[in-house]
Amino acid sequence: MARLTIESLRKFFASTVAVDDFSLDVADGELVCLLGPSGSGKSTILRMIGGFEQPTSGAIRIDGQDVGRLSPDRRPTGMVFQSHALWSHMNVFNNIAFGLKLRHLPRAEIRRKVEAALELVGLGGYGHRQTFQLSGGQQQRVALARSLVLEPKILLLDEPFASLDQHLRERLREEVRDIQQRLGITTLFVTHGQDEALALADRIVVLRNGQCEQADAPDVIYRNPQTQFVAGFIGQMNFIAANVEGGTFRHPEMSVAIGAQDGPAVLAVRPEALGLVAAEGGAGVTVVRSTDFGSHIMVDVELSDGTRLKAMTSPAMRWERGTRARLVPSAYALYRDNKLVVSGTVGASTAAPAFGAAPLVV
Amino acid sequence: MIRTYSSTSGRFDWTGFLFAVVLAIVIAVPLLVVFTWAFTEIWRYPAVIPQKFGLRFWNQTLSRADVWDALSISLQLSATVTALSALICLPAAYAFARMKFPGRDLFFLSFLASHAFPKFGLLVAIAAIFLQLNLIATFWGVVLIQLVGTLMLMIWIPVAAFQAVDRRMEEAARDVGAGPLRVFWSITLPQAGPTIFAAVLLTFVSTFYETEGAWLIGAPQIRTMPVLMINFINNQVVIQYGAVLSVILWVPSFIALMFARRVIGTGAFAKGFGA
Amino acid sequence: MADTAIPSAIGGSEPAIGRGLKGLLLVAIPVFLVGWLIIYPIIAAILSTLFVDGPQGVHFSTASYQFFFSDPYSRANLALTLWTTGLCAVLLLLVGLPIALYLRFSTSRFADLVQSLAIFPMFVPSIILSYALIRTIGPNGTLDILLNAIGLPKIPSPYLTPWGPVIGLVWDNLPLTVLMLTAGLGSISNSAVEAARDVGAGPIRVFWHIILPRMGNSILVTISFTVLGIFSSFTLPYVLGPASPEMMGPFMLRTFNDLYDPLNAKTQAVISFVFCLFFGLFYVWSIARNQRSQTR
Repeated sequence: MARLTIESLRKFFASTVAVDDFSLDVADGELVCLLGPSGSGKSTILRMIGGFEQPTSGAIRIDGQDVGRLSPDRRPTGMVFQSHALWSHMNVFNNIAFGLKLRHLPRAEIRRKVEAALELVGLGGYGHRQTFQLSGGQQQRVALARSLVLEPKILLLDEPFASLDQHLRERLREEVRDIQQRLGITTLFVTHGQDEALALADRIVVLRNGQCEQADAPDVIYRNPQTQFVAGFIGQMNFIAANVEGGTFRHPEMSVAIGAQDGPAVLAVRPEALGLVAAEGGAGVTVVRSTDFGSHIMVDVELSDGTRLKAMTSPAMRWERGTRARLVPSAYALYRDNKLVVSGTVGASTAAPAFGAAPLVV
Repeated sequence: MIRTYSSTSGRFDWTGFLFAVVLAIVIAVPLLVVFTWAFTEIWRYPAVIPQKFGLRFWNQTLSRADVWDALSISLQLSATVTALSALICLPAAYAFARMKFPGRDLFFLSFLASHAFPKFGLLVAIAAIFLQLNLIATFWGVVLIQLVGTLMLMIWIPVAAFQAVDRRMEEAARDVGAGPLRVFWSITLPQAGPTIFAAVLLTFVSTFYETEGAWLIGAPQIRTMPVLMINFINNQVVIQYGAVLSVILWVPSFIALMFARRVIGTGAFAKGFGA
Repeated sequence: MADTAIPSAIGGSEPAIGRGLKGLLLVAIPVFLVGWLIIYPIIAAILSTLFVDGPQGVHFSTASYQFFFSDPYSRANLALTLWTTGLCAVLLLLVGLPIALYLRFSTSRFADLVQSLAIFPMFVPSIILSYALIRTIGPNGTLDILLNAIGLPKIPSPYLTPWGPVIGLVWDNLPLTVLMLTAGLGSISNSAVEAARDVGAGPIRVFWHIILPRMGNSILVTISFTVLGIFSSFTLPYVLGPASPEMMGPFMLRTFNDLYDPLNAKTQAVISFVFCLFFGLFYVWSIARNQRSQTR
């Protein structure tokens, strides 16, 4: 049962800044996802917590104790690597038992703990197998058991499912979530897949260029992105660039009354918050493609300035290529210099921050 | 890939057949002749088959004191050189593979020097130094000169082996609580084990057969098996002594052959020569 | 370097300077041995043959070199060595290249057999080989027996002629030649060859225009390695070769051990170094370049 505190962590490699002033507080039993594109510093943060990298400055505390200068073997953390990193010269049992043997536990106790750990990850009775006889998913479970058997205070997962296929990945992440909740273990999970983060996390930290863009619960991240980067990185998002003049965002095909200062800005609208209405005559935007996903239809439209937008519509209505349509946004957010200026719903007052929550307009 | 005696086009592989036959004759016949001589008591020209087979000369060869002395000296030398070489080279190879320090690349390439000069010229230059140090005709003089010959093999092959070990395996071991030494002993060494074992074996065998240095530095007090063999060839009228000795001498090489195939398969051996 | 993504080694908690010192300590003994037993003897050999102890102290003198090049026997030995080395290098390429080409492009099961056979001599010590060759191609050897049995005259035996060492050295160096050439051929992709075949090039054109230009470097490395090995080889020339003239290896040994003449032995060694200088430099340069491209 542990609490992880990270204070203004910095990491410089020779000439580049990998992590810049990163702070985070992870509560006991919480599962936090570090999400970001490659090179955003998420793995570096994890490796600094595990002790595999030296922070340039800043503090890492576990239950208030500063572990920043301890070597990995002295830290109460357990890491699961992307490449599973199982020791191929030992069988499954010995892989899991290695850490326990280092702690000089009695033989019977080691056996009991290893078997319990294998049971926990659903591999009971696999102890005598060689690691290379296992499938990718099983190998990753053994790696998880190897970390869990030592009952670490903090569990660190470094893109553990990246090398597995989609189907297996989805199953494993549910299992990991189950195990994590059952054990109540404080967990930090690094991924570049937003699905994984949305499905797993109590809280998501979106990183860019070594800095935290936003740290919030998954629904808040999705519905109320605080920066344009987060808005674009999580889920699908339409961006339209134009000027705000006299309290109105003015674009030839879409004008929205907005409480913002004049000047260039970017309007963000989720596909599910962008409705289409058939336009009379030659006005409006042009439908370029319509893709049927069964539950909904995704319609791609092109604006007169070449911008392409996606609109999610009900299967009840067919949109042929070349059809003219008018855009009816129901919820939006406005960004300027990557920062959120204002968000709101059309028709209602701007007070409601819920974003994309409005009913679909057909 | 399913391999058959025909190429992919389906025809019988005459080229391969020809290569195999010619190589088999050129390589196998001289060795078969030696084997035949070792088990022959009388073979007078021009009989194609020896007149009398037998083990008489085995008894005679094995009852010679100089053979046992030479064998003992050779084994002592090879064991000492291999052990010393492993002791000083394996930690160095690990450092080259895993650590950063000033001069790393230059030092690593410096081991090429042992292969970049004509071998015997180098031996003579070393012998001239040993002359001043009174190391000529001593056991440790021979050990030193043979040790130099093993350095490149024992550094370059293990470096490749250590570099091939997934660094995350080592990190995972640190993570579960192993200190740096424990990681090396329990993870890195076993992972690099087969290749390193092959390098050690090759070092032992090549030291066992090393002739030039042993003779130049060791003569006349230190007489190894190959040096004794040269004596037999030059001064012995009994042909069979040399043949029996050859068969005995070939045993370590045969063991090396059994183990080394996998190494050559992975190309690690060629790395030992920088290819 | 691939390291940039994961820049620190294990033991990331130690200060960088301490790790650098530890690394230096670990490599200290082998590096010291290289310095003491390779670099220093070579420099000492060069200096001590040029600066000789005379009655009026140490002075510069090229006398031992002048002696070497004015002595007909020494010159004959050097000529024999150059002849043997050159001939062996050419023969090894002529034999090794077809085998390497076959091994690279064949898919038949004979390839494994051919490879095993070609590599086999590596596990036959040269001393055993010398003995086997004496018994096989020496006077009244097996070859003579077989020729006699089918009613043909004896061959003029190469034993104790300059051809004896040539046969032995080619036999002995074949495995490494084949291995190094095969490694060089490995860098030529199947698709490059197939593309050339596709546009209508025959096997000879493919070899000449596609394969040969790309393996020029590995052929040179192979030649360098063989030349360095053969130039001062000892066992095979000593046992199989003529007593006079003799190759540089036996010559140096006799000068050092039997004539107790270290100065002239060192002179002969330095002359060997000079003649092999180009090949040694090329060998080191090409491997250093390879090494760099592998680590970057």
